[in-house]
Amino acid sequence: MRRLRPAGSRLSPSNGNSVKAGKGAGNNQAPSIRFYGVPLPGVRPEELSGNLIVVEGTDGSGRSTQISLLTEWLEGEGFAVQTMGLRRSFLVGEDIDALLAENAVTRMTLALMYGTDFFDQLERRILPALRSGLIVLADRYIFTLIARAAVRGIGRDYLHGVYEIALRPDLTFWLNVKPEVAFDREFKKSQTISYWESGRDMSLSNDLFKSFIRYQSMIKREFEYLSKRHDFIELDGESSVSRVNHLLRKRIASHLGIRGTHYKPSHALAHLWR
Amino acid sequence: MATITPEIAEAPAVPQQAPEKLTAAKRAYPGALVVVEGIDGSGKSTQLYLLKRWLEIGGYRIHFTEWNSSPLVKSATRRGKQRRLLTPTTFSMLHAADFADRCERQILPLLHGGYLVLADRYIYTAFARDAARGCSPHWLRNLYSFAPVPDITFYFRAPLDVAVTRIVAGRPKLKYYEAGMDLGLSLDRAESFRIFQEKILNNYDQMVETDRFVLMDGTVRVNKLQKLMRQLLGDKIDLAHFAPKKK
Repeated sequence: MRRLRPAGSRLSPSNGNSVKAGKGAGNNQAPSIRFYGVPLPGVRPEELSGNLIVVEGTDGSGRSTQISLLTEWLEGEGFAVQTMGLRRSFLVGEDIDALLAENAVTRMTLALMYGTDFFDQLERRILPALRSGLIVLADRYIFTLIARAAVRGIGRDYLHGVYEIALRPDLTFWLNVKPEVAFDREFKKSQTISYWESGRDMSLSNDLFKSFIRYQSMIKREFEYLSKRHDFIELDGESSVSRVNHLLRKRIASHLGIRGTHYKPSHALAHLWR
Repeated sequence: MATITPEIAEAPAVPQQAPEKLTAAKRAYPGALVVVEGIDGSGKSTQLYLLKRWLEIGGYRIHFTEWNSSPLVKSATRRGKQRRLLTPTTFSMLHAADFADRCERQILPLLHGGYLVLADRYIYTAFARDAARGCSPHWLRNLYSFAPVPDITFYFRAPLDVAVTRIVAGRPKLKYYEAGMDLGLSLDRAESFRIFQEKILNNYDQMVETDRFVLMDGTVRVNKLQKLMRQLLGDKIDLAHFAPKKK
């Protein structure tokens, strides 16, 4: 296999100086900067004509709402959209659900199962979509996986090494919210707080609220570190849905060369607009 | 982790700094880890079985573990293999997850508990096999860098023809991934298997020095080879440490 020499910043933190990932360059990017390091086997970066846009943020940051709205907007503009998210792979998605339900899994196994899930989606969903020129909207990406594993004591260098063969997003948005706000929103939505989202496997506190806040604060610190390293576009997730959506559209429109950013949600999505 | 440079990823050989890093890991447990490696048909499993019997009969504190045996990820592995969904990357990741489960729940606790752990295949199987599938050797080294370093690794080497004949003769049908059919090497399973095994064999050979393999000639008579294996084990590991307590 021919291996391309990476040109831009690498995922590995040992190479500190990060280069901007061809922002605004649309499809004219040099193919070699589409991956952090040597791409995973069987991939020719020059074939990938689509765009990968990542929205990161904790549960309760409004991520999924924004993905729904962006999908509708982009489809209205005539772009075909493919989505991805965690635990959605055919290969191991359900197996991870089962592992989480049992609470019998150890941290490294879980981290690597999430990695398997990610790469299965990357190879079977994202790369084919990008080859066909689609816009891929990722509801979380490797950064959540790195942050979750890192707060559980798995080395950052190790994690960056695992995901070094992954595709570099064109744009990565981070919807940043305070843990307290995330707690309120999540509680309102499901009337409870999930075992894993409150990091209860980490024995932080027997009090669910305290455990959630501590855990989410740790995740947030990892994201602050990742944000600098990987040129995240940080947005205030505590702003209104329409405000955050406006900022997302503006940035994406300039990247894709869309002139107008006017958008009003359809009747089906109007309930999300607040 | 060492600095990743494209030069290393492009080099066919195993990166030089990785083994040093592995052996430098401080061994913080009273147990010991014995590993056998080699291609299918090299005689490694037979020899490890005999070693295990010898130690069992002697009443030693031992535990035997096999590659790819963890129940946690078994259903995913089965699904992936049956439906041929696995790519070189997901094949490798799934086996790493499987190994992590065994490592965290069996191998490490047993090493800390002072056991002599016998492993039929270890991370070198992934290095040799997944690199033959096209995964970057450097990526693989990092992926498995959490694994404890073996105290001794026996590498059973038999000529390709001998090993392949042993396997093909004893098996009615080679499985899809086992034969490396996913690589498109040949439409004939036996031929594909042979080419795949040759690639793996070459990758193993490159690790003899970097990973301090103890080379074992797989064509030597079984009992003679076993005698040598027991002797080498005793030279390297203080077996008295694992022996039954005398009263």
